[in-house]
Amino acid sequence: MLPSGFQYSQSSMQDYVDCPRRFQLRYVESQPWPAVQAEPFLEYERHIERGATFHRLVERHQLGIPADVLESGIQDNDLKAWWRGYLGFDDVHNMDGKRYPELTLSADLDGSRLTATFDLLVVLPGQRIVIFDWKTYRGRPSKRVFASRLQTRVYPLVLCAAGAGLFGGPVNPVQVSMVYWVASYPNEPIEFEYSEEKGATDRDYLQSIIKDIDRHQNNTIWLLTSDMSRCKYCEYRSLCGRGDAAGQFAELDNNHDNIIDSIVIPSLEDVEEVGF
Amino acid sequence: MPESWFLEGPAGAGKTTYAIQYCHDLVRNDVSPEAILVMVPQRALGRPYQLAFTGSDWPNGTQIDIVTLGGLARRGLEMFWPLIADKAGFAHPEWEPAFLTIETSQYFMARFVNSAVKTGIFDSINVPPFRIMGQLLDNMSKAAVNGFLLDEVADRLITAWGDRHSSRPSVYRAGVDIAQHFREYCLQNNLLDFSLQIELFMNHLLSEPVYRNFFASRYGHLIADNIEEYFPVADDFIRDVWQELDSALLIYDTDGGYRVFLGADPGGMHVLRNLCDHIEIITETRVISPEAAALVSEFDHLLALNSLPPLLEVNPGEIITIASHKFYPDMIEWVVARIVELIAQGIPPGEIVILAPYLGDSLRFVLMSRLEEAGIAAVSHRPSRAVRDEPAARAALTLLALAHPAWEYHPPAADVADALHQVIDDLDPVRAWLLAQIVYRPGRDELGSFDGIRAGAQERITYRAGEKYERLREWLIRYRSEADEVPPDHFFSRLFGELLSQPGYGFHADFEAGRVVAQLVESARKFRRTLYPDGVDQWDAVTHEYFTLVQDGVLAALHVPSWQQQEEDAVFLAPAYTFLMRNRWVDYQFWLDVGSNQWWERLEQPLTHPYVLARNYPLDQVWTDDLEFRYRRDALRRLLMGLVRRCRKHIFMSITSLGEQGYEQRGPLLHLLQQIVQRYGDVQEAAE
Ligand code: SF4
Repeated sequence: MLPSGFQYSQSSMQDYVDCPRRFQLRYVESQPWPAVQAEPFLEYERHIERGATFHRLVERHQLGIPADVLESGIQDNDLKAWWRGYLGFDDVHNMDGKRYPELTLSADLDGSRLTATFDLLVVLPGQRIVIFDWKTYRGRPSKRVFASRLQTRVYPLVLCAAGAGLFGGPVNPVQVSMVYWVASYPNEPIEFEYSEEKGATDRDYLQSIIKDIDRHQNNTIWLLTSDMSRCKYCEYRSLCGRGDAAGQFAELDNNHDNIIDSIVIPSLEDVEEVGF
Repeated sequence: MPESWFLEGPAGAGKTTYAIQYCHDLVRNDVSPEAILVMVPQRALGRPYQLAFTGSDWPNGTQIDIVTLGGLARRGLEMFWPLIADKAGFAHPEWEPAFLTIETSQYFMARFVNSAVKTGIFDSINVPPFRIMGQLLDNMSKAAVNGFLLDEVADRLITAWGDRHSSRPSVYRAGVDIAQHFREYCLQNNLLDFSLQIELFMNHLLSEPVYRNFFASRYGHLIADNIEEYFPVADDFIRDVWQELDSALLIYDTDGGYRVFLGADPGGMHVLRNLCDHIEIITETRVISPEAAALVSEFDHLLALNSLPPLLEVNPGEIITIASHKFYPDMIEWVVARIVELIAQGIPPGEIVILAPYLGDSLRFVLMSRLEEAGIAAVSHRPSRAVRDEPAARAALTLLALAHPAWEYHPPAADVADALHQVIDDLDPVRAWLLAQIVYRPGRDELGSFDGIRAGAQERITYRAGEKYERLREWLIRYRSEADEVPPDHFFSRLFGELLSQPGYGFHADFEAGRVVAQLVESARKFRRTLYPDGVDQWDAVTHEYFTLVQDGVLAALHVPSWQQQEEDAVFLAPAYTFLMRNRWVDYQFWLDVGSNQWWERLEQPLTHPYVLARNYPLDQVWTDDLEFRYRRDALRRLLMGLVRRCRKHIFMSITSLGEQGYEQRGPLLHLLQQIVQRYGDVQEAAE
């Protein structure tokens, strides 16, 4: 049913949890639907672009390009503020350990493949691994909101299952923590410690989602979400008969950030051979 | 120095399977997957690796990178840009670069070509501007993948031209001058077309210490598959990083080299075997029958050695059926009837391909329609089709023109009727035509309202359709007041989402229209973001510019991701080379029109030359008819052997005495087949 080679990610699973029909259209049918997601469109696009540029800047920095070289190319004031915030985020800069920016790990979960691309992993072999995730939201969601996101469950789980090679041996969940750093609130990182119990609960939960997905047939229309507010920022709204106008970007709250998360970081899969 | 292997063998020998197993072994021996770099000449050929590395038997861990040289270059440039931009001579090294696609390269190239065309310099070659752009970009790419300077392109072309017709050298020179202006413009504006990406990667990034450290600490193991399809710079790249590798596996397909016309250098890549510690040559293929192997041998002897092979015990004719027809339509009927029979026998449609040297739109259309009528799933490869040729895109473009009367472009009434028919659910073509006749007056500012139509006509059109038409008309009028704030991609997105895909409109739940309009939006977005990355105060002129480029045929950006198509269980209809580059095996092949000369002709491209613009072509050599003949024979040999090696069961070949254009057919492939028939006698013939 899913295309061959398909791998689950936090973003696709979040889509399923938010709306099974959206998951079906996006991943089972790979159906493009070119409606506007949020208005004013150019402002929304600029925000997404700024987020992507920020991620690239940090990746470059973590790869060893000096900060002053990078800063000289920043023209946008908001971006510059985020960048300065990042430079002042001592927790990340002072930490010992090997750094892996934009690293993808994948693990088998009951015969399905689950993948996670980490903004930054800092690894102290045998001792500790910290997952850093940069968020370029305008507001700062509460810890509770972050806790409810599938990303908070998928990332540590994949890391524990697939990080042994980086860690120099099996990863014990208590050695893992995850830090969300929101660019406009640079001094208020949100940290989650991981544990064996959480790992077991998360594994059960993610397995149940995959089982649920597997139960579906593709020749039927999967369940449409009952939370109509999700449809405001969903490109399929006309197909589902859920309205004709895109939601307002200014009203886009962090409960709907999956639409941004799914676009912010261009996947390396998108790097096309440019032939002639 | 790495521990290295060179593995050579024909298609179907199991080389890629071996390479995948090799990756498994590396990982089992504690090599971290991210330290393995798999290189392929084009993305589709990376698919077997991708599937293997996402299978449930693949160990948990980091991911193996599967890249093309172009992909590796682009990734490296994106990430390490600040380190090389200044040294590479960009006017604004502090700005981010824009990576151009073929399409967006053409937008910029159009400015230079169009003004040169006006001077008359290209009059003697009689080629439309968008083809000139394509060929000049092709020359730039050829220079990059061979490591030439642009001047060398002109020198090579002029030398090879010899003392034939005298205006051509100045045309070549003018072409290279344009390319140089284009390059200068790119350096001024941080634009990276394919050729510049390759040059920057090879000449700057690879020697940049930070990148070099990154590369060396990241990758220890190289697997390079199908190296016979690589450009000469890939050879340079492999030699450059060789000493830093822990291991390397180079894989060479003996009879490949299908991308020679794009710049591939199978001969040069073969020399890489001299670097390797272990050389393994497989001669057997696991996939094909002895009869197919005999046919491969016949083609090989007849074309490479120009000699008759000894008569074999197995009859190569047993895997082919040749049918003769007088006219093209008879051939099509015959092909469809055979396919219907095969499917009735339980053969999956995905095990059948229909191949032609070139696949024109009309042939494609007729075959696709006939297969559809027969209830057979079929997909056809369309390498590039103009946006405006897609009905859904054409309708959207017509509505764009109607929304901008100030442009004074008046779409033909037939286009307006067609757009109305497509986008309004209840309008059949007759009613749509009637409505268009009444409400559309070329030159008038806006469409007439439904309320203003006589009652009788309203009834014929129906009030339901009229109501929807009114909503569309009002949408277009409302949009006009905002046109300056709306870029072209946003126009299409809004029109689609707010109206055309709403319940009651033609694109609602029309997945194909969704796909086509999505590509139109993507094309317009790339245009806007590449040419106007900082935005403009008023978008109307930009939208007009985009529209004009579409009308001029500069855009050809509609592609279906290649493997998405390939994996459908459907009969695949494609040009022969396209099929070869997918590296697929099927049970049954149909070769159309084997009498056609097109089986060995190359595209007429007066501004470029695939063989002369190659590193291994002597700089001082004139291109002669004799050389043309030899290269064609070699290309035909590779093509035929490659096709037969990818067929497990049977090849149906059809001959038409009068080809698609109604001329008699006596091409070289036909001649070869006649020789084989004469030697073995009992080839199955299915004369009609
Ligand atoms: S529009 Fe609403 S119901 Fe439809 S896919 Fe999107 S979120 Fe789901």
